[in-house]
Amino acid sequence: MKEEPIKSFRDIPGEEVLCSGTPACAGCGGLLTLRHCLKALGDRVVIVNAASCFTLLAIYPLNPFKNSWLYTAMASAPAGAQGVRDALDVLIEKGKLDSEEDLKVVVLTGDGSAYDMGLSSTSGALYRNLDFYYICYDNEAYGNTGFQESGATPLGSKTATTPPGERHPIGSELPKKDLFEIWKSHRPPYLATISPAYPIDLINKFKRAGQYRGPKLFISLVPCPPGWGTDPSRSVDLAKLAVETGVWALKEAVRGEVGHTVVPKRFKPVEEYLRGQGRFAHLFRPVRQEETLREIQERVDEYWRLHKLLL
Amino acid sequence: MLSLRFHGRGGQGAKVASRILGTAAFLEGFYVQDFPLYGAERRGAPITAFAHISEDPIMERGVISDPDMVVVMDETLLQDTRAKPLSGLRKNGVILINTSRTPEEVTADHGVEAQVVTLDMTKMSLTMLGEPILSTPAGAAAARIVGIGEESLKEAVENVLAGILSEGEELDENVKLALSVFLAVTPLDITTVEALPEASPVIIVPFEPAHISSPTINALGNSPLRKTGNWRVFRPVWNREVCTKCMACLARCPDGCISLDEEGFPCVDYENCKGCLICVRVCPAEGIERVREAQVL
Ligand SMILES: Cc1ncc(C[n+]2csc(CCOP(=O)(O)OP(=O)(O)O)c2C)c(N)n1
Ligand code: SF4
Ligand SMILES: [Mg+2]
Repeated sequence: MKEEPIKSFRDIPGEEVLCSGTPACAGCGGLLTLRHCLKALGDRVVIVNAASCFTLLAIYPLNPFKNSWLYTAMASAPAGAQGVRDALDVLIEKGKLDSEEDLKVVVLTGDGSAYDMGLSSTSGALYRNLDFYYICYDNEAYGNTGFQESGATPLGSKTATTPPGERHPIGSELPKKDLFEIWKSHRPPYLATISPAYPIDLINKFKRAGQYRGPKLFISLVPCPPGWGTDPSRSVDLAKLAVETGVWALKEAVRGEVGHTVVPKRFKPVEEYLRGQGRFAHLFRPVRQEETLREIQERVDEYWRLHKLLL
Repeated sequence: MLSLRFHGRGGQGAKVASRILGTAAFLEGFYVQDFPLYGAERRGAPITAFAHISEDPIMERGVISDPDMVVVMDETLLQDTRAKPLSGLRKNGVILINTSRTPEEVTADHGVEAQVVTLDMTKMSLTMLGEPILSTPAGAAAARIVGIGEESLKEAVENVLAGILSEGEELDENVKLALSVFLAVTPLDITTVEALPEASPVIIVPFEPAHISSPTINALGNSPLRKTGNWRVFRPVWNREVCTKCMACLARCPDGCISLDEEGFPCVDYENCKGCLICVRVCPAEGIERVREAQVL
């Protein structure tokens, strides 16, 4: 069923599906993403959550969800989703659950699971065309355990395991994996990147995804104040800057066909995004690491040139 | 041996405070342990850190349940049933509290039996560092109370923070802050006796299969019972004269704490608002002001 897109903040569903009082950090960009995702999905969902910061959202005896929620090991959320989907299907087939009462199965993980540890079970679920949603909130490191480097960590980031020093002055020396392309190569019916700073774009993507059976995947780049070394109040500004500088491309792929949903008219210099984040501070002080700054900018430009959106 | 316990909220710097104290005591020639309690703790959540200081080698291991002194870096923790900062404090022990109030007021309010020292660390940090980070003042005040000298304290702040701060200027400001705390507090004689433990029945948890022993929560959306409002240092306050009801703040609150009142103005649930202040930054009309909590109380 196709749903009408929303146009303004006023059209965002007013009811809070995710309750307050969670232990997530003040200013957590992941939580803001999840809040909007759940507004779009409603409360008739089962969340299968791999170990991450968000497994702490529900700590006995308190729970912010109005829907069911299940906690799995880091590598196996998509396998857990398969089990839940199968159980629902069996119940419906046996007439024990009205198909009107069916639930959407939603995997929720950080980048650690999505980019690294859970990639194989995700690939399996995609291969089997499992009917589920996957939301990855990507804070670009293993946040819950103290911000260690993950496959999502960008070039030049300081993490607990890539401290900039004499031998490794730039911090992380490996560029970020392209999870969008990895997922796309499995040809899921719907795939998108989202941002907590663009809730209208986010909600409309869920509305479009809802028409398809099979894997529907979402990656959100989310500011993480303690890991990124930023003030909690700046989380939305930073998520927006990531898009305005071209670092985070907002796009979707419907049956493999890629389209960009937000394209800045004029790209801001990537430095505007990097500067002021504690995890990139060593690129600016005590001396500017020109070569790395240039490389980061060039990688962004290259992406947009490839998509013919930058001349 | 002196045993100290620090209670703060994630992000305030309890761990670094205990490290500053431990390092300073080490530089004075004592045997020392300092360590945080690692848990699934995030910004704002109650955090505990510990320090043992002794003239002899320390054979104890593990968390400190009967401290001689507790450092309470956030006054709201006194009411927090998860943190229970005063539990196990020995008789005649010391309570150092970050508050703008006097020891007498705190003693009267909380009915505590101990030597109470108060210091507005948040204000000192905001004035001197521009940020409510309390590791330096809490570590420095604790060090002064237990009788550490000025030189060791200064060196400890430099050693500990050099590995954390990227700018020399910030380091100098922290050293200055430590020295002004040193002057604001006086050493105390800490001779304590064991407090009798409260009668607590021992609960033996039997081994049960996973479907019984693993926690299942059957309540929907009851997390607002966790009053995360006490994480705030500043609160957002709306100016209705300026607000255009654009809903930007509502759309940007990670915790979903903002709703609309009958007149269509945004209003916030202060019981759970964590004080991230995203709303203050995103309001296009600049109609939201940040106000220090201590001034609201
Ligand atoms: C197999 C395995 N290794 C390590 C851990 C410890 N662990 C728990 S959460 C976490 C970090 C997860 O990082 P990410 O998925 O990026 O989520 P974030 O914490 O950043 O939200 C780790 C390493 C685990 N639970 N399981
Ligand atoms: S560590 Fe980062 S991702 Fe985890 S709860 Fe805090 S802000 Fe969110
Ligand atoms: Mg992560």
